Amino acid sequence: MNLKQKYALKKWQDLPLGGVILEAGNAADYETGTWRTWKPITHRENCTQCLACWEFCPENAIVLESGIGPDGKPRKFVVDINYYHCKGCGLCVRECPVNKAGVTKALEFVRDEV
Amino acid sequence: MVKHAQGKPKIVPITGAGAMAQAMRQINPDVVAAFPITPSTQIVEDFSQFVADGKVDTEFVTVESEHSAMSACIGASAAGGRVMTATSSAGMAYMWEMLYVAASMRQPVLMSLVNRALSGPINIHCDHSDSMGARDAGWIQIYSENNQEAYDNLVMAPRIAEHADVRLPIMICQDGFIISHSIQTMQLEDDAKVKAFVGTFKPYHSILDTDHPVTWGALDLQDYYIEHKRGQEQGMRNALKVIEDVSIDFAKQFGRKYDLFETYRMDDAEIVMVAIGSAAGEIKEVIDELRTKGEKVGLLKIRSFRPFPYIQIADALSHAQIITVLDRSASFGAHGPLFTEITTAVYNYTANRPLLLSHTYGLGGRELTMQMIEHVFAESRICLDKGEVNGRQGMWLNVRGD
Repeated sequence: MNLKQKYALKKWQDLPLGGVILEAGNAADYETGTWRTWKPITHRENCTQCLACWEFCPENAIVLESGIGPDGKPRKFVVDINYYHCKGCGLCVRECPVNKAGVTKALEFVRDEV
Repeated sequence: MVKHAQGKPKIVPITGAGAMAQAMRQINPDVVAAFPITPSTQIVEDFSQFVADGKVDTEFVTVESEHSAMSACIGASAAGGRVMTATSSAGMAYMWEMLYVAASMRQPVLMSLVNRALSGPINIHCDHSDSMGARDAGWIQIYSENNQEAYDNLVMAPRIAEHADVRLPIMICQDGFIISHSIQTMQLEDDAKVKAFVGTFKPYHSILDTDHPVTWGALDLQDYYIEHKRGQEQGMRNALKVIEDVSIDFAKQFGRKYDLFETYRMDDAEIVMVAIGSAAGEIKEVIDELRTKGEKVGLLKIRSFRPFPYIQIADALSHAQIITVLDRSASFGAHGPLFTEITTAVYNYTANRPLLLSHTYGLGGRELTMQMIEHVFAESRICLDKGEVNGRQGMWLNVRGD
């Protein structure tokens, strides 16, 4: 069952009383990406993999993947942004150390297509 | 079949507030969160003594305000406990926001409300402004005429509020001072029998059930808010039948019969007075006296104001020729809340087209004397003979200057 089917609008008779939500952790199913008017995009070639964006993201929308670092130890890497959850707050863009250095950009804030 | 312990009821002299504390002791709720306020103070005082003496298993939460009291009640109810509180007037006004939350979260919080005027000027005596103002909050409202009724209604309250078809908070109302501070003899039922009648609380998705985690009180927007409100309305509609059923069972167990409202000498009554609360006692006295003089008068006393039994009341009023409604609260710039409900009932659910007379009385504890009631009946007779209520509509009773 996809999310659309899962969250098809129900009649009042079919709802639990008092607006109680019976499933734990289903906030992740909520598409907050539709709130976005600006969106962050990544320029992977400039990214130093410091993970500052992941640390600051209030929506946990920075997607990480496990890998092996240059020192041969296992670590995480930024691979993507989850636009289903990203509200477009721009914190990642503002906090990115590469952006702050001012030479190149690892994250860029652009107008989202409506 | 539940087997009841064969304890005997006791006839006790007790105040209305004391009676509520006794009912609370017998119900033995899991949590009580309350902040004392006149004239409901004795309820909380007596009950805290029961807690201190170990007569109940209740967790008594001494909060810093009524807003917190109701918040604590809601939290404890969502946690799966049977929860009670008591308040009056400004105390309930301070709960306002949380009253709505309790009802919309379908938490069957049990409140004993002692009706008192709202400020200002500050006044501690009886009128119904507090509960009438809260009539749209989504609470079941049951009114009582005397100590016995208040006690009986509170014993019935858990069964009504916690019923699976209802799941709504309930307030059992009694008149401040007139009932709450007057000692009357009353039948106090046996503890075990009350306990068996009340039964155990069945939580609905308790937040303490960590094997089945749930969220209470989440944000609800345009896509679902109105569906949840519709469900809430259904709970209130279902409550009418549940109140009747529980009252029938109560009569079986304890012998006192209650209906959604009480009718007194209404069979052939041409003039019917409609009132709420302690005033009914005096009105009945006056009716008995007028009946000896051949005047066909009767009384309809409201018990359940929310939900309002429109159809049943309309049926009871279907032969009245003039209906005089006494409101103990003012809706400034409009007729009193009881008058508008009675008009709605009569003019929507019967073909009867009686005269309807609206009166406001008793604000801030102003007495309603028997002479005054007699005067209102006489006035109603004049209106009925003339066939119109002009000039008398919307009068305030016993006010100097009118």
